[in-house]
Amino acid sequence: MLDPYLPLVLMFALAGAFALFSVTAAPYIGPRRYNKAKLDAYECGIEPSPQPVVGGGRMPVAYYLTAMLFILFDIEMVFLYPFAVAADKLGLFGLVEIVLFVATLGFAYVYVWRRGGLDWN
Amino acid sequence: MTKNFAAEIGDTAKLLADDPIWLVLIKVVGIFAFLVVMTLFMINWERKVVARMQHRPGPNRVGPNGWLQSLADGLKLAFKEDIRPVLADKWVFFLAPVISCIPAFLAFSVIPLAGEVNMFGQQTALQLVDLPVGVLVVLACSSIGVYGIVLSGWASGSPYPLLGALRSAAQVISYEIAMGLSIVAVIMFTGSMSTGDIVGAQASTVLGFAPGWFGLLLFPSFAIYVVSMVGETNRAPFDLPEAESELVGGFHTEYSSLKFALFFLAEYVNMVTVSALATTLFLGGYHAPWSGDFLNTGWWGLLWFIIKTLAFLFLFIWLRGTLPRLRYDQFMKLGWKVLVPTSLVWIMAVAVIRTGAIQQLSTAQRLIALGVVVGLVLLVSFLLPDKKVQDTKGVPLAGSGFPVPPLDLAVPKSAPKRKVKVANIPKDTAAVTTGKEAE
Amino acid sequence: MNLLVAQAQQIEAPQIDYGAIAPLLVVLGAACMSVLLEALLPKHQRWAVQLVLTLGTLVGATGALIFYATSERPAQGVATLAGAIAVDSPSLFLWATLLVLAFGSVLLIADRSVEPGGAFVAQAAIRPGTIQDRAQATKTGMQTEVFPLTLFALGGMMTFVASNDLLTMFVALEVLSLPLYLMCGLARRRRLLSQEAAVKYFLLGAFASAFFLYGVALLYGYAGSVKLSAIATAAAGTDRSDTLLFAGFGLLVVGLLFKAAVGPFHSWTPDVYQGAPTPVTAFMAACTKVAAFGGILRVLTVAFENTQWEWRGVLYGVAVVSMVIGAVLGLTQTDVKRMIAYSSVAHAGFLLIGSIALTPEGTAPGVSATLFYLLAYGFTTIAAFGIVSLVRNSDGEATHLSQWAGLAKRSPIVAGVFTFLLLALAGIPLTSGFIGKFVVFSAAIEAGLAPLVVIALVASAVAAFFYLRVIVLMYFSEPAPDGPTVTVPGAFTTIAITLGAVVTLVLGLWPTFVLDWAGTGTFLS
Repeated sequence: MLDPYLPLVLMFALAGAFALFSVTAAPYIGPRRYNKAKLDAYECGIEPSPQPVVGGGRMPVAYYLTAMLFILFDIEMVFLYPFAVAADKLGLFGLVEIVLFVATLGFAYVYVWRRGGLDWN
Repeated sequence: MTKNFAAEIGDTAKLLADDPIWLVLIKVVGIFAFLVVMTLFMINWERKVVARMQHRPGPNRVGPNGWLQSLADGLKLAFKEDIRPVLADKWVFFLAPVISCIPAFLAFSVIPLAGEVNMFGQQTALQLVDLPVGVLVVLACSSIGVYGIVLSGWASGSPYPLLGALRSAAQVISYEIAMGLSIVAVIMFTGSMSTGDIVGAQASTVLGFAPGWFGLLLFPSFAIYVVSMVGETNRAPFDLPEAESELVGGFHTEYSSLKFALFFLAEYVNMVTVSALATTLFLGGYHAPWSGDFLNTGWWGLLWFIIKTLAFLFLFIWLRGTLPRLRYDQFMKLGWKVLVPTSLVWIMAVAVIRTGAIQQLSTAQRLIALGVVVGLVLLVSFLLPDKKVQDTKGVPLAGSGFPVPPLDLAVPKSAPKRKVKVANIPKDTAAVTTGKEAE
Repeated sequence: MNLLVAQAQQIEAPQIDYGAIAPLLVVLGAACMSVLLEALLPKHQRWAVQLVLTLGTLVGATGALIFYATSERPAQGVATLAGAIAVDSPSLFLWATLLVLAFGSVLLIADRSVEPGGAFVAQAAIRPGTIQDRAQATKTGMQTEVFPLTLFALGGMMTFVASNDLLTMFVALEVLSLPLYLMCGLARRRRLLSQEAAVKYFLLGAFASAFFLYGVALLYGYAGSVKLSAIATAAAGTDRSDTLLFAGFGLLVVGLLFKAAVGPFHSWTPDVYQGAPTPVTAFMAACTKVAAFGGILRVLTVAFENTQWEWRGVLYGVAVVSMVIGAVLGLTQTDVKRMIAYSSVAHAGFLLIGSIALTPEGTAPGVSATLFYLLAYGFTTIAAFGIVSLVRNSDGEATHLSQWAGLAKRSPIVAGVFTFLLLALAGIPLTSGFIGKFVVFSAAIEAGLAPLVVIALVASAVAAFFYLRVIVLMYFSEPAPDGPTVTVPGAFTTIAITLGAVVTLVLGLWPTFVLDWAGTGTFLS
């Protein structure tokens, strides 16, 4: 009996080999006629912004908020899955607990909603 | 511990456990080829269907009826120049397509394509692997795919890809919540996260004729899943990350040649995967719409599976041909304010009903429990009027902080005519009032 | 109840003693309600409703606590929620201490008379120094989220001191820490300093939590369980390698000592005490100290009592370092809040002496002494920070020591009360500080730590010097012409300061009944 995860590893290896081969081969298969315009950042023809985006680039803080909310709800999901698997065995106690859990997060959700944390301008 | 585990795993997993290594390898290659072919087919099909919807012929030159067009395009891409901008981060730029490509293929490993079949004299299930955490594998892979998107945008050293990547990441993670929550109800009914068990649980019919698919039984979950799967794959009408009018090409603006092809491949493979997962979770997987028939055995399952998956893929194309793109705020609102709360309430309702049925509660107890949940929902929904942001006086500020002209400019009733004397031209009617209150 | 066992293969629900954990449930439930109120109430109603809810919660939780403590209960305590929470006599004492100290802190937090609108910023998300920030300086509103945050922190502290396994303890540690990080950054004045304090506290605190968690992992590797009693059993009689045990113990204790601000893990203390809004500093200084030492006491006496000969030397050294750092660096401070911060480091050293005072026979005379010390110290500190918030100039609080010169001439009552509190911190007889030190030191001598007591006495003497310096400054210096004024406090601050000062006095004169109560029982093991 093989390890149940072995097929996943093989799939990973095949897809990885294919992708790595593609990215490695790309510069050698295609022509190489570089010039400055091609190597600049593409901004629809205008002169690229002088500030490098990598590293020093700023981004709207709203994305950060979305990321934090995602983590909260992702954790909620993580707890809901085991509950769902064992829901029948947990019975009434499990139900009460999970309703309380979701309600607790619901309070926070209501708070975020009312404070405009879910709005984009 | 091991003994328990052995008792817990499903029939498919037991069947798959006996696969010899050569069979596993054949399956790996087969699934890989299936996905690549599906991608080539899908691109062509999409172009043709959208063309028909727009009353044009679509690609019809390369190969029979134009069906080899995408293959030709793919080959052509390989012979294009590979450009890496000078500001790009070398290694991350190089690896991002790989990171985005691998999980796309990996996620498909747990999808059951058909039930028990005979492959080269070996009894096996047409599925690469059936893990007890199967559904989680798909979710995990789609999460890792986000890294490919974010890293490609970040590493390009260019503003459009960065913004596109951020949008894309925010979008995918927002809809992943809804997607994950929509699956919970299915798991609750199956008592297992293994995809094989989930399909197995939908084999029977209900009421004698209707298929016992979770898509019918748990329709709200199904609807939420379908909406969020479109958002999750960044497809129209949710294709904001590559809104070409705003962001050129989105996160892969700076990519060309085979690297670009990998992103393209990943996107279409992801579409196939979420469609296949929808089939598995909600449309009974490889089961025919009726049960206990010859058409429900062996390799016939593959036919049903592909038909159902293609139906979802057609939905993707149809949506693209029909609907205009959403605005970003509308899109996030739909995800966070509609799909997530609806999912949560629905899950709780399912949990209450199901626990009630299992525990054989009296009707009164069930009504009380349901009443409590409904009461909570009503309470919350009543308390949730959408809070309007007060329009503050003063200079209206855009998100960037730059002053913008007021949007309520008074337009003169009729344009001043040339005949009118100069002295009579009304002054100040349309004066731009920016800065008037700039304090 | 019979519904829960309807089917044979059902997972059994844990037994819950709702009476025992009622205070905890009240506090955490009210914290959730508080968040909801914060979301739904219009702005002008929030302060009043939140205040009533918070104070009501504290009173209700104390009521539930008294009801349970006076009712029929097992003398050695109960472990409930599948053994995650131990409600025993020290737990009850610590809960009561936390609730009463939180009551005083909430009064300081809610006060809006000293500073118009309260010590908290109206909108914390606005960047300091911008136009919007200057505009909001005149607003009198405050970020009322501080009330739910306080309740959550309190709930975390109460769970922390009662947690019977290390994982519960870790979760409680996070629940108590995260609101505190946030509260530190909410000051209305000197916002950059406040935000810097919050970030510092957060970063270092996150490190400490990681240490704690790593320690938990290693101890789990050693004992195969995170339960305190299981670790004690595993350490009692096995030939397993001690490396995991002591590495785990070391990391765990670093996390705990950080929270308790014991030197050399004290480096965040002065900055955070100085930058945080003064009511929050009071809350941190009093309640966090109680919670952290409650946790330390439980971990040391329940899980590591058997191995005390191995680790005692290390904590012995830590206590000495803490006392020396607190006393010596306190001498050099020119800011009142920083000075009290260093004084708290020195006190943490004294408290640690009590915590490690375990006898070879397995008794822990230090427990009741430390419990008493925590109660006494908490009240004195809250009152002291209450006074600090009163001395103000146009920039807000005037915390520089030179500004306190001649304060007795301007406001003899405030100077008098502050003098009394400083004397209590120094441990002069007739104050609770003296009794606290006395019981801790006698417990230490009983446990054979006489040399440590000698060092502690010297450190006390050095520390007394910098308290006396402030007193001398207040009474025997000429006030500066443009010096600060002493605000006449409103009812809330007055009550908080009075409560602190009176308890300091009462515990100094008649400590017996509290000492008796602190000594009624031992930790459940």
